[in-house]
Amino acid sequence: MKKIKLIIIPIILLIVGISISCERDDICPESTSTTPNLIIDLYDSDNPDSSKNAYNMVVYGEDNDEILSDYESVTTNQLVLPLKTDANSTTYILHKDYSYDDNDTPDDTSDDIIGGNQDIITINYLTEEIYVSRACGYKTIYKSVEITVEDDGDNWIISTENLTDNEPIEDDYDTHFYIFH
Amino acid sequence: MTMTRIFTFFISTMILFCVSVNAQNDSIPKAVNDSLVIKQKYGLRIAGDIGKLARSFLDDEYTGFEIAADFRLKKDLYIAGELGFEEKSTVNDYLDINTTGSYLKAGIDLNMYDNWLDMDNMIYAGFRVGASTFSHDLNSFTVYHTNQYWEPQYSSDEVQEFSGLTAFWGELILGMKVELFNNLYMGLNVQLKTLVTEKEPDNFQNVFIPGFGKTYDSSSIGTSYSYTLAYRIPLYKKAK
Repeated sequence: MKKIKLIIIPIILLIVGISISCERDDICPESTSTTPNLIIDLYDSDNPDSSKNAYNMVVYGEDNDEILSDYESVTTNQLVLPLKTDANSTTYILHKDYSYDDNDTPDDTSDDIIGGNQDIITINYLTEEIYVSRACGYKTIYKSVEITVEDDGDNWIISTENLTDNEPIEDDYDTHFYIFH
Repeated sequence: MTMTRIFTFFISTMILFCVSVNAQNDSIPKAVNDSLVIKQKYGLRIAGDIGKLARSFLDDEYTGFEIAADFRLKKDLYIAGELGFEEKSTVNDYLDINTTGSYLKAGIDLNMYDNWLDMDNMIYAGFRVGASTFSHDLNSFTVYHTNQYWEPQYSSDEVQEFSGLTAFWGELILGMKVELFNNLYMGLNVQLKTLVTEKEPDNFQNVFIPGFGKTYDSSSIGTSYSYTLAYRIPLYKKAK
C-alpha cells in the first residue's frame, strides 16, 4: 500500500508535465516582432518640429498593380511601407492631392484627368535573415537603408531625414525616416 | 450420415479429453516440494522499441529505433539504459528542417508492484539522465511577413547544415513490464523530460532533439513514450 502512494507522485508530475507541453506554439503570434515595415513620418518643411498631413494620399509600388491598402486616397501624416524581402531596393509612387475626373466618359480612359502631384521614392538597403521561432520562421532585417527621391522638376517632397543612425531596421515600433513637405 | 457425425464427435471428444488429462498430468509437480521458498530470476533484459519501429513505417516524417537494457540489482531495483537514433522532419509554411542524431540514456528503475509467487511483472518509476548529439539540415525557409503587398517573400532553397550540436536532460519514467512467456516481456512507458543544457545553433533553434523529442518555445519540457519487446537472459536465481 505504501508503494501505491509512492507511485502517485510521479503520475501527478507526468500529468502536469504533459498538459504544460501540449500547448500549441506552431502559430506565429501577432505580438512577435517579424519582418518590419519602413515607417516614414511626414513633417512640415517650414516648421520642422510639427507633423503635417498629406491629403488624398495614394501610395503604390512600382511594378505592382495594386494600391497599397490603407493608402487609397487618405489623409495621413505617416507612411508604413512594406519592403521587398527578395530584392535590395523597393520603389514607391507617393501621389499627393490625388483627384480623378473621368470627363463623364467612364468607359474611355484616354481623356481622364488625374490631378495631384506624384513623387517617386526609391528605398535601397541590404537584407539579412534572422531566426525568430519555429512558428514564425525567419524575418528579414534591413541594413544601410537610404531613400532617394527622383527629381521630376516638381517635387512635393522637399527633403528626407534618416533616423536610423545607420542601425539596421529590425522592428517597426519607431519611426525610421522623416519626409519634409 | 447422422451416425458418422456422432462417431466423429465421440472420437474427437475422446482425443481432446486424453490430451487435456495428459496436460494436467504434466503440470502436477512430480516431487511435491512443500517449502515456500520462491526463487526469482536475475539477469540482463534487452529490449527493442517496437513502437518506434512501427512509427518509422507509418510516419513519413520519422525514422528511429531504440535498444534498451536493464539489469536487476536488488529485488525491486534495476539499473537501466537506452541507446537509440532518431531522424525527424519538421515542416511548416516557413521552415523545412531535417534533424538526425543519436542518444544515450542511463539511470534506475524502481519496481512498485508486489508480484504474486514467482511472477515477474513490473509497474515502475524510473529516472534517467540523457545525452544526445545531433545535427539539423535546414532544407529551405521562407521569410515571414505580416504584409503580403510584395509577393513572394524571400525564400532560400540552399541547404544549411547545423552540426555538432549536443543536449543533456533529466527524465522521469513511468511504465510497466509484463512477462508474456518465459523470459519474454512486453513493456510500455511514458517519459517526462526537462532539458538541462543544449548547444544552440547560430541563428537557428533546436526544434527537435533525438531522444528528447520536440522542444517547446515556452518551456524546457519534453515528452515521449516507448513500447518495447524484451528478452531476459537469465543469469542466476535468488530467493525472494
